[in-house]
Amino acid sequence: MSGNKELELFKNGKRLDGRKFDELRDLKITAGVLKRADGSCLLEWGKNKVLAAVYGPRECLPRHEQNPLKARIKYRYNMAPFSVEDRKRPGPDRRSIEISKISQEAFEKVIFTNFFPKASIDIFVEILQADAGTRCAALTAASVAVADAGVPMKDLIVGIAAGKAGDEVILDLGKEEDNFGQADMPMGIVPTTGEVVLMQMDGDFSKQEFDKANELIKKAVPVIYEKQRQALREKYEKQQKAIEEDLE
Amino acid sequence: MSEKKVILPGDKVNTRGSYTYKVGEQNYSSIYGILTKNEGREKLIPLSGKYIPSEGDLIVGVIKEAKFGGAVVDINSPYSAFLPTRREYREGDVVFAKIFEVDEVKSTKLGDERQLYQGEIIEISPVRVPRVIGKKNSMLELLKQKTGCNLFIGRNGRIWIKGDNVILLKKAILKIEKEAHTTGLTNKITKFLDEELTKEIKIKNKELK
Repeated sequence: MSGNKELELFKNGKRLDGRKFDELRDLKITAGVLKRADGSCLLEWGKNKVLAAVYGPRECLPRHEQNPLKARIKYRYNMAPFSVEDRKRPGPDRRSIEISKISQEAFEKVIFTNFFPKASIDIFVEILQADAGTRCAALTAASVAVADAGVPMKDLIVGIAAGKAGDEVILDLGKEEDNFGQADMPMGIVPTTGEVVLMQMDGDFSKQEFDKANELIKKAVPVIYEKQRQALREKYEKQQKAIEEDLE
Repeated sequence: MSEKKVILPGDKVNTRGSYTYKVGEQNYSSIYGILTKNEGREKLIPLSGKYIPSEGDLIVGVIKEAKFGGAVVDINSPYSAFLPTRREYREGDVVFAKIFEVDEVKSTKLGDERQLYQGEIIEISPVRVPRVIGKKNSMLELLKQKTGCNLFIGRNGRIWIKGDNVILLKKAILKIEKEAHTTGLTNKITKFLDEELTKEIKIKNKELK
């Protein structure tokens, strides 16, 4: 990940898409978009488009994967072949298997798995359109879907990345900033406690830069958290409104 | 009138129960639900979720497999139940039974079963079943009386119905499920059933003419 000096990442103190260094891309979350799933969520974050579905708790199959003490969480992160410019070969690859594993471990920290021995909670996240930061978008969408499914959990998870491009620490990297940048640090955070349930880093930060990135992330978490909560509230309000209109 | 508020996982609440968890002295919600305040008492009702068997519940089950000394029953839950019985059930038979025993790994035993013949089953969200039963069975009695149908409501979200006016009963039950979080539901359903019944009588009279 060496800096590409030919591509100008900043102009007049603004980024390529006109954002400030600590500004998020537009975020839109809709809960309960799939009828057959127990819980679901459609999330649009900049040019990212992510669909999450949750099934369960349900019987865990194959049987040898059952745990008599707690529920198993199965998380599948998958990119659609058409989600990126060059066609992505369908099916799990090294990258998506890794993302699935760490995201699953993040959810094990917030879901009360001990309520459902021998069962499994299946989370599927499909990346329909990718533009950097899809694992954070997937995590954010999946936690809304899990709450929508009525699975007991401590709190939602907020996924957000900070990184370094053109020698500047920036929040929520876009595609060019990710490709030509120097560092990228995605994080999964439990907003009420501030716990970090997922953290990776690609590239390198100095200690000061790391602290700065961490600070940017902490400031952005409440903003994303509120959007997630709003999505779930809206789902209920929409249903109630439909009933009222029905009466008239 | 009671107040209603949408509650999300991680929200502070002043109630205790199966949908909350405690950190220090503070209780938090663990579920996406509705908090109702009625005369100072708060109650947390989930908006969605699967049925988890608990002792004493009455459920509508479908026989999955006959085994020696009993039958495996599908109870619309992550866990299937075992019904020890001498009777020979066949796959697909419908029973109304009581949950006798649930152990720590949710192995479930049924008893007091009663086979239900013919009829049909409708499935609703298990968290909305209490509204279909109503306070002191008020809704259940209303449905029985107005439609003249026979019905068994299982805690697991399955309702077995049989009778002449099943279509209307089905409509009413799905209406209750949809409007489970509104107040004055019994009155609304009474009105709905009366209206539909008068419509039916009118149509019948026309046909007779």
